[in-house]
Amino acid sequence: MTTEVELVDVDAAAPAADVLQALTEVIDPELGVDVVNLGLVYAVTVTGAHARVRMTLTTPGCPLHASIEAQAEACVLRVPGIASAAVELVWDPPWTPMSMTDEGKRQLGFF
Amino acid sequence: MTVGAAASGGAHPLLPVTALLGGAVALVAGAVWLLAEPAALSGHLGSPTAVALTHAFTLLYVTLVYVGTLQQLPAVLLVTDLAWKRLGAVALPLLVAGAAALVWGFAAGFRPAALALGGLGVTAALALVAAQTLRTARDSPPRDPASRGLVTAVCYLALTVALGTTLAASRSSPALAGALGYPAALHQTTGLIGAFLLGIAASGHKLLAMFALSKGGATWRVTAVTWCVHACFAATALAAAAPLAGWPPAAARVAQAVAVVALSFAGALQFVEVGALLRRRLRKRLEAPVERYVLAHAFLPVAGLLLAAGLREAATVALLLGFVGLAVSGMLVKILSFLTWTRAFGSAAGRPGPAPLLRDLTRARLEPVITVGLGFGALAATAAVAAASTTLAALAASALLVGAVAQLWQTGTVVARTLGGRLTRPREVVTTK
Repeated sequence: MTTEVELVDVDAAAPAADVLQALTEVIDPELGVDVVNLGLVYAVTVTGAHARVRMTLTTPGCPLHASIEAQAEACVLRVPGIASAAVELVWDPPWTPMSMTDEGKRQLGFF
Repeated sequence: MTVGAAASGGAHPLLPVTALLGGAVALVAGAVWLLAEPAALSGHLGSPTAVALTHAFTLLYVTLVYVGTLQQLPAVLLVTDLAWKRLGAVALPLLVAGAAALVWGFAAGFRPAALALGGLGVTAALALVAAQTLRTARDSPPRDPASRGLVTAVCYLALTVALGTTLAASRSSPALAGALGYPAALHQTTGLIGAFLLGIAASGHKLLAMFALSKGGATWRVTAVTWCVHACFAATALAAAAPLAGWPPAAARVAQAVAVVALSFAGALQFVEVGALLRRRLRKRLEAPVERYVLAHAFLPVAGLLLAAGLREAATVALLLGFVGLAVSGMLVKILSFLTWTRAFGSAAGRPGPAPLLRDLTRARLEPVITVGLGFGALAATAAVAAASTTLAALAASALLVGAVAQLWQTGTVVARTLGGRLTRPREVVTTK
């Protein structure tokens, strides 16, 4: 079971899919896999030039939360057409390793 | 978004990093000392040198690393901000100064003034750390057995030194000392089982699951370990109090037997729990420091067998040097990598380009040297105590020294590669829109 990412465009200056693609540049430094393939991103909503990302982390209270959150915001802001970004960390539903994409599992040597 | 160095919810990374590096240095110093005086391990373990070495290992290595991680770990396990984030700046120097005075006081032939000052210093330091952890837990009460176990273990840690100091002070009263003797077992059990075994079980339940991507073990086992530790402590305390209360010697023997049974159950449960976590893991290849943490648990059945054979001192060495020593070493390298990465790259937002991975911060070749050195050293030290062999003690000291030097080199590498910026890659400047 992998996490389905909810993509919503409302008069979007850039497609939410592009924002999701940009988030693949954010790498979890412990696992070496990007946050999208780890299944950490739950939803991307683009309203006009504003992008909102709802995501989680592998562990609540993870000491790397601030840097991952900040890197995610920075990556989103690099998408052409996006002028502002907000990253919301949520813990419900909690992340499980089963949320990973097949590519993420492959990178971690599950197969 | 502003990301500070201490944005993780814990104290400023400099505090725990300093403690972890200090612990690594202390282990090297202790191994050199043991190599110079191997008879300390093969002779009477109550000798000044043996007691000093034991306290150097437990206070300046294990406890210093433990207290260093406590500047971050409660924030992670309790998912909140650490209370009084600057308190470590007082507690850590107090701990080091007090421990140094204690070690010197023991080594110099049990000097009362040094022991009193050192005992009070360490007691005050760990009381501050316990207060900090409890305050953090009050703000965000523990919601799972692992978090509760960690908070409890920190209280046992403070109790250990308070008990040691109190018991030692009681010797200044001839009447009390005559009745009480010196129930070292109470002091040792509180520290070894209450503080270290429970601390490793509680934090390890969370950390191993995180590092191995395990779907989790059974939280009831962590709860059961906690209750076994309580039972072991209570029974040991009753056995120690028996002479004062005027109970027959048989009552003390029964209490001691109950303590051994509770301890055995605690060790067995932790062994099974780690096995369960590993069986349910998705990350098949564990990193070397995590493997070392797992390997530490092999010393639990070794200690159990020695205890069953009546070799209590050898069992204690297997638990302390083998189980605690290896587990602390594994977590030291992992946690140090996290801390220095956060310090060096945590504020890298807004700058594209990949930061190094945590595993890039360590020198892979050193890991087997650390594991084999410390593991073989612990095994040889256990055998040296069991066989009262100075040759084995010298062998143990040599192996421990190799492992300790490699560990110090590794910690220096982690710091150099992050704080020194050796792995920092060129990044383009990004303007905020």
